[in-house]
Amino acid sequence: MAFDYTIKYKSNNTYENPVFEAYWQFMIIPENNVSQKLVFSDFKTSVNARIEKSINGYNFQTARIHCKQPFADIQFEAEFKLTKEEINPFQFTSKLEPSQEFEAINSLNFKVEHESYLTPTELTKLPSKHIDLYKFDPSISILDNLVALNKWTYLYIYFKAGVTHIGSLLNEIIEHRHGVCQDFSHLFIAIARQNNIPARYVSGYLHQGDGFFGDSQMHAWAEAYIPEVGWVGFDPANDILADHNHIKVSHGKDYNDCSPIKGVIYSTGKNETQHSVEVTYEQ
Amino acid sequence: MKSKFTNPLFSSYIKNEGLFDEIFDDNKKVRKTYKKIFELYRDHSNSDYAALNEKAKAAFFNQGITFQVYRDSQTQEKIFPFDLFPRIIEAKEWKTIEKGALQRSKALNAFLWDLYHDKQIIKAGIVPMELISSSANYLRQMQDLDPPGGIYNHISGTDLIKHSDGNYYVLEDNIRCPSGVSYVICNRNALKRALFGVFNHYQIHNVTNYAENLLEIMESVKPHGVDIPTCAVITPGIYNSAYYEHSYLAKTMGIELVEGRDLFVENDFVYMKTITGPKKVDVIYRRIDDGFIDPLEFRQDSAIGVPGLFAAYKKGNVSLVNAPGTGVADDKAIYTYMPEIIKFYLGEKPILNNVHTYHCSRPDDLKYVLENVDKLVVKPVDEAGGYGISIGNKLTKEEIENVKTVVKENPRKYIAQPIMSLSVHATYIEDSNSFEQRHIDLRTFTLLGNNKEFVLKGGLTRVALQKGNLIVNSSQGGGSKDTWVLKK
Repeated sequence: MAFDYTIKYKSNNTYENPVFEAYWQFMIIPENNVSQKLVFSDFKTSVNARIEKSINGYNFQTARIHCKQPFADIQFEAEFKLTKEEINPFQFTSKLEPSQEFEAINSLNFKVEHESYLTPTELTKLPSKHIDLYKFDPSISILDNLVALNKWTYLYIYFKAGVTHIGSLLNEIIEHRHGVCQDFSHLFIAIARQNNIPARYVSGYLHQGDGFFGDSQMHAWAEAYIPEVGWVGFDPANDILADHNHIKVSHGKDYNDCSPIKGVIYSTGKNETQHSVEVTYEQ
Repeated sequence: MKSKFTNPLFSSYIKNEGLFDEIFDDNKKVRKTYKKIFELYRDHSNSDYAALNEKAKAAFFNQGITFQVYRDSQTQEKIFPFDLFPRIIEAKEWKTIEKGALQRSKALNAFLWDLYHDKQIIKAGIVPMELISSSANYLRQMQDLDPPGGIYNHISGTDLIKHSDGNYYVLEDNIRCPSGVSYVICNRNALKRALFGVFNHYQIHNVTNYAENLLEIMESVKPHGVDIPTCAVITPGIYNSAYYEHSYLAKTMGIELVEGRDLFVENDFVYMKTITGPKKVDVIYRRIDDGFIDPLEFRQDSAIGVPGLFAAYKKGNVSLVNAPGTGVADDKAIYTYMPEIIKFYLGEKPILNNVHTYHCSRPDDLKYVLENVDKLVVKPVDEAGGYGISIGNKLTKEEIENVKTVVKENPRKYIAQPIMSLSVHATYIEDSNSFEQRHIDLRTFTLLGNNKEFVLKGGLTRVALQKGNLIVNSSQGGGSKDTWVLKK
């Protein structure tokens, strides 16, 4: 079964003092992959500047604006249409025995191939006193372990907006047990990596039809690599596997590789950013 | 032991036993290579040298050949002290150095290609993955990117010393933004101006061809489809310690010197702002560290980079020299694997020796290092410019304990090497108005391009001006000498 989605992204930035020159890079364009296909995209901005499409360092699509005229606020809007296939969760079951799976992830070749997603980053580093926060059970499959970790993370953290920020480290998340989807994802990723499972951060949109946690901004979840199966998406903020409601934009080692908006602004004073995202679908 | 030489200039020259003196052999006879120049220098009096020295200093200052020292409470412009007595390298000896430097540069290039592609050397268990993944200079954005001509380290600076056994040893390979080549050329000019006559008696290779070769190397890695490339040098600006060199190289190559704000990216092509409108730039010799080249991709707080530059590079629309990410191989821990790296990629034996190195990340080595701090040089793996180095036999008991604590806290960050005794050379010392022994090293410059390679026949001989000091970096109060490579 296929779903037709329409996504409307809006961002509004206001500046205390006029900006003389600025670059923005938006990484908000849904990627094309096995389960999703982008069929339409359109961008609009309030300033007099062209919108260029480019890529970031990891080959994800970006939309860039270079504004050379003074302005005090800027609106940026994007609209995407895409089709998304239903994801069959049974395809993730491995043919390997748990012992074979754990053997596979411990081979040097495997570790080298997945080095990027096995090495802790600042945002996905477990504090040393919490290094054994969650241990995988070698008697059950990696998928079952990850499903259990997904649930554990969901129950461990209380979803609360506004208490953490994009630079929050795991120490704070683990001790206060609250946060938003980024924090759920970072904790899930850190623990998977600590247990030698490659895991990466995913940025995208969530269709919130069924009252899922997330917000009216962009969503974050995680993907973990299972030998002989591949990358599987987990949404620890909602205790589900990523499914047709999850529209992927990019992935990376952590939030910093995926930040949806980056700007280089030549101005002084304060600024304010607002985003809104609307995801609708027809079946 | 004290000994008198016939030349009054050398009256206070104390020849220390156990150090390799480049000019005098063990019987205190002048070595064959230096015989002629020694005789010529004898024609001058002490006061002549004092006057020549002042003139040379003034010439450097007037031309603005200066550098800046960081970590002083006040950053200030200093001239790089220039010594009037040249260092001479025989043709045969040079041949080995040249071959060895080229071999290392090529091996490092192959290593970088491998690290950013299949990582065979790691899968073969030769270089530990941990060493690479923990390196701040490992740029994962470079994975599977093929730089033009397959070249990463277009410019390499290899630091060598001559040990008391008379052999050369490599201290480190600099492949980020090695600097110093402008001093090589300026030193030659300065010596010619001061003592032109001595050049009549030696057949030496010239060094002024560096700029033309560098430009050819840059042009050889032009983006696909570009006929005659526009090249530029990008500098962090006038406050950078090597700004003189950036401007010197741009000037001698006849290309523009730009700062980040002079460039912009549009549709993934790079343009420079000129009075006649935007001009597309194809090859950039960047003297800005990786982290600062593009605030949209790397450090967002970089005010000296060009937003969008990395995407333009990824798309193959502009070439960067050196390639981003070379720093991962310019690491004192990687250095210790150089013999293995050379063997793995080239199937050859290293031509130049490595100094034996203890990795504090290895438990056995760590144990040895902690027990022998007084006999070792302990260095952080990722600092440049001679910062953070401790030399065992110069430390007090308390300092030794401090070093131990620091190393124990972060073993991966440190390596240790036996204290190498750098060779010494006659160096004019202002305070005594005579020549004295001072430690020296040598930085060579190697260029790699698309089917092109070049080693500058000469180099930067750095002098530790403080008596007994083993660190020769300019930032640590070193000077330099003109370096002659004999044609035969």
